[in-house]
Amino acid sequence: MQLRHVSTNLRQSLRRNVSMHAAVIITLFVSLSLAGIGVLLSKQAALTTDVIGSELQITVTLCVPDEPDFPQCTSEVTPEQEATVLQTIRDNPEVAGTEVISKEQGLDNLRERGVIPDEQFEGSDPLITADVIPKAIRVTLKDPQDYDGVTSAVQDLDGVREITTAQELVGPVFEIIDYTRYAAWGAAGALVLAAVMLVANTIRLTALARRKEIEIMRLVGASRVFIVLPFLLEAVFTALVGVALAAGALAAFTRFAIIDGVAEVITGLPFIGWGDFLYTLAVIGILGPVLTVLPTLLLTRKYLRF
Amino acid sequence: MAAGTVVPVIRFEKATVSYPGPGKPALSQVSVDVDKGEFVFLVGTSGSGKSTALKLVLRELRPTTGRVYVAGKEINRLATWKVPRLRRQIGTVFQDFRLLQTKTVTENVAFAMQVTGRSTRDIRKAVPETLELVGLADKGARLPDELSGGEQQRVAIARAMVNQPMILIADEPTGNLDPATSVGIMKLLDRINGTGTTVLMATHDHGVVDQMRKRVVELDHGVVVRDEATGVYGYQH
Repeated sequence: MQLRHVSTNLRQSLRRNVSMHAAVIITLFVSLSLAGIGVLLSKQAALTTDVIGSELQITVTLCVPDEPDFPQCTSEVTPEQEATVLQTIRDNPEVAGTEVISKEQGLDNLRERGVIPDEQFEGSDPLITADVIPKAIRVTLKDPQDYDGVTSAVQDLDGVREITTAQELVGPVFEIIDYTRYAAWGAAGALVLAAVMLVANTIRLTALARRKEIEIMRLVGASRVFIVLPFLLEAVFTALVGVALAAGALAAFTRFAIIDGVAEVITGLPFIGWGDFLYTLAVIGILGPVLTVLPTLLLTRKYLRF
Repeated sequence: MAAGTVVPVIRFEKATVSYPGPGKPALSQVSVDVDKGEFVFLVGTSGSGKSTALKLVLRELRPTTGRVYVAGKEINRLATWKVPRLRRQIGTVFQDFRLLQTKTVTENVAFAMQVTGRSTRDIRKAVPETLELVGLADKGARLPDELSGGEQQRVAIARAMVNQPMILIADEPTGNLDPATSVGIMKLLDRINGTGTTVLMATHDHGVVDQMRKRVVELDHGVVVRDEATGVYGYQH
């Protein structure tokens, strides 16, 4: 295949439609950035849920010995007591599911929340070990407001240390995350629509500008791939520029808004980091080209009359 | 087709083309064979079905009923992705030349080779040879605008011939040219035909048909009304 011919064509076409391509790139850049922020916020919500439980959940911690605040606990909860508590919870019609958090998991979660300095978990004789962490049962409710039934059924059972609802703690946090996330996704959706329509217009203009050339190509027997390739390369090119710009914006968001921003100000909650940024990058890296290549494939079929 | 007979390059077998809606079919039960190396005029008034017949050969259209074979392939059964390969065996020339105005003569001819994936070496060899064939060896650097109508049509013929097709289809190639220039173009097409290329030419041009004394197939309202081995444009009285 004549690569030089294809690349010349691509260059010409990009130059011919500079303003259209710029419009596609800018729209893609903004929509992908917003979609990326939506993904990052989902990651944040999932991370928060993992560590402190979602608002749909209540946490029943079980007894550990020697805690003056909880006089009903005289010793570590026994397996029998634990089984009774678990069964009572599961029998309750308001309960959607349960998850047992072991002492080790509890230790990890506590450490991840970052409230207690790391030194207390480290060294040959750490201050905080899994032993002192209470075992817990995380209960997912069908309706987050309906926790009274479970609470009253469980609170007087032997081996129960404390019942906490995540509602007060995480409710506002989730509310903010959710609203921002939905706003980001809504705006991203509208802009994605605009981007796709711009891509469609660009293709129509290009097909019109090149119609004589394309007609001749068809008549002399150029393969379909050869005819469509410049359009596809244009689509991939604009998508990649859009993705690159969005990646920059999301990196800045992760760095300045999260890592150096809220994570510095709000302690007691874990925050997303560069790993989540890379995941988001992969998502928009796929989404961007799909948004331009898919309409190109569909519309070249339509406008080029194969 | 029995063994031993010459396989026609183009064969229409009771080909009918109907467009949606009421009205007569554009082509009706047309059966015509064109052998390799023949020169055939397709004549008839506007709307007689000439262009439809050419579109069938190019596989721009498919017959509604009946069969059409081109270069041994039944076009009705030809998969869409194989159509470009078929078209590489057919050169096409039009009344309006259809040259790319921003490209030079050489680039216009080379374009047909570039887009079918031929190597630069092949292109460098074939383009000057073909320009020589059509008598434009010294005009390769010109733009179409700088050429006369006859010269532009020669460029279009060069583009059609540069891939050495088996068949040359010409749709009113002299339609925009004065009689003297038309004679030159017809001589060129005759010379191309002399090298073994089958030529199928649709035309309105009485003078050209009468002068050449080649086979004439006349269409009227989509039906073949005449097929003469050495005919003229109108009926001989």
